[in-house]
Amino acid sequence: MVAFRNTDAAGRTSGLLLRCVLYSLLALGLIVFDKRYDHLGEIRRFLSVAAYPVQVAVASPFEGWHWLRESVSSRDALRADKARLEAELRVANFRLQRYEALEAEAQRLRALRSNASGFAERFLIGDIMDLDIDAFRERVLVDKGARDGVFVGQAVLDAGGVFGQVARVEQLTSEVILLSDASHAIPVQINRNGLRTIAVGTGDMGHLKLPYLSTSADVITGDLVVTSGLGGGFPAGYPVGTVAEVRRDPAQSLADVVVRPAAALDRSRELMFVWLKPDAQAPPAAARAPVDTAAPPKAAATPNAAAAPKPRGAPVP
Amino acid sequence: MMRDEPVRRLPMALSALVALALSVLPLPATIDAFRPDFLVLVVFYWSIESPRAGGLALAFLAGLSLDVIRGVVLGQHALALTLMAAWATHLRLRLRVFSLLSQSLTIFALLTGYQFILFWVDGATGNPVTAFSRWLAPVIGGLIWPVLAGALSRLHDR
Repeated sequence: MVAFRNTDAAGRTSGLLLRCVLYSLLALGLIVFDKRYDHLGEIRRFLSVAAYPVQVAVASPFEGWHWLRESVSSRDALRADKARLEAELRVANFRLQRYEALEAEAQRLRALRSNASGFAERFLIGDIMDLDIDAFRERVLVDKGARDGVFVGQAVLDAGGVFGQVARVEQLTSEVILLSDASHAIPVQINRNGLRTIAVGTGDMGHLKLPYLSTSADVITGDLVVTSGLGGGFPAGYPVGTVAEVRRDPAQSLADVVVRPAAALDRSRELMFVWLKPDAQAPPAAARAPVDTAAPPKAAATPNAAAAPKPRGAPVP
Repeated sequence: MMRDEPVRRLPMALSALVALALSVLPLPATIDAFRPDFLVLVVFYWSIESPRAGGLALAFLAGLSLDVIRGVVLGQHALALTLMAAWATHLRLRLRVFSLLSQSLTIFALLTGYQFILFWVDGATGNPVTAFSRWLAPVIGGLIWPVLAGALSRLHDR
């Protein structure tokens, strides 16, 4: 059934070993240079531009299918969609009414504490390209890259909450590592009481873990987990997920807390790249030092804005 | 000295491109782990079928493009693919007279070696992937080898 041609069956391929060694040494050299000296950024960027047509060619039939399905959706479906969107917009507007006042208050409180946890300043929408980069790592390719100002470590959100961060930037595309990747961690806090901890991915898109909470920590099922903004990478206060399960084993010192992500990690098609306000990126230690000396009791009394609700007429600087 | 073997670079390049596209084609997560390394199988096929047409160069370039597309350390797939393609070339005379089952088993061994080199470089560069499912690809690859080799030989015999 599988018949190979016999035309060259007579002779050995001369110099197979030599060529094999040469190519292998070349590959090893690439690995070492790329890993140790990081000199290959430009080459990689150039190669990625060459690979872009392949990526687009693979992704475009799926995008075409999405487009086709949208463009042939019936009048009734469109009308139902419109009604639903209008209802959602109404609810969102109700919620927004108090938002500006609250944000101003939060700004004042933050200024009081000189907390440099950062506000989102600018957004850019990117589309996920329909490609499987790696079956074993939770990453997606997005059609925005260095050309659009995307940078490594940038926070990425979707409509539901925090989605992940940028792991690698090419000229035209970038790779976003999902919250749920087993090598990803994000500083968070429990919204109800301001308890700070770190959410770690599990390799499963369905849940994250909070592995560093003690068994006595005040966390219950249903708690909203938001970004704490510590570390400066992520803007503060965006939803990461809700606590789905808390297991406390009296024999262990740490509780087993499972969080269901707020972002639709497996379904989102559009992502938002976030730029933090430049002044919010200042090193927190330097920013906090003068305040601590000026008003030590206040700084000590409010370790966390969410933890200590202030009276309405809080002093304004 | 001229050989009468036609140099089939066009079908080589075309099949490699198609295999590259297949290896990044989005699949539902449940069957994603069962995806064979199409590009690797195609490179093996050409290494066995016509090593003179530049089998090792094809292996190196294919590996490099996998590195770029998957965003791993540059040279990882290139190294694994080069070594295993050279081995396949070395074994090609024996492979041609093997029964289908032995061919599949040999390909399985080659794919396992390929996967092991990837695994090793992953570990050496500091981001190990210990998921068990990565060892599934060689099995699937060995299973679909007869079909793939049959289809490819039909492609260029015409």
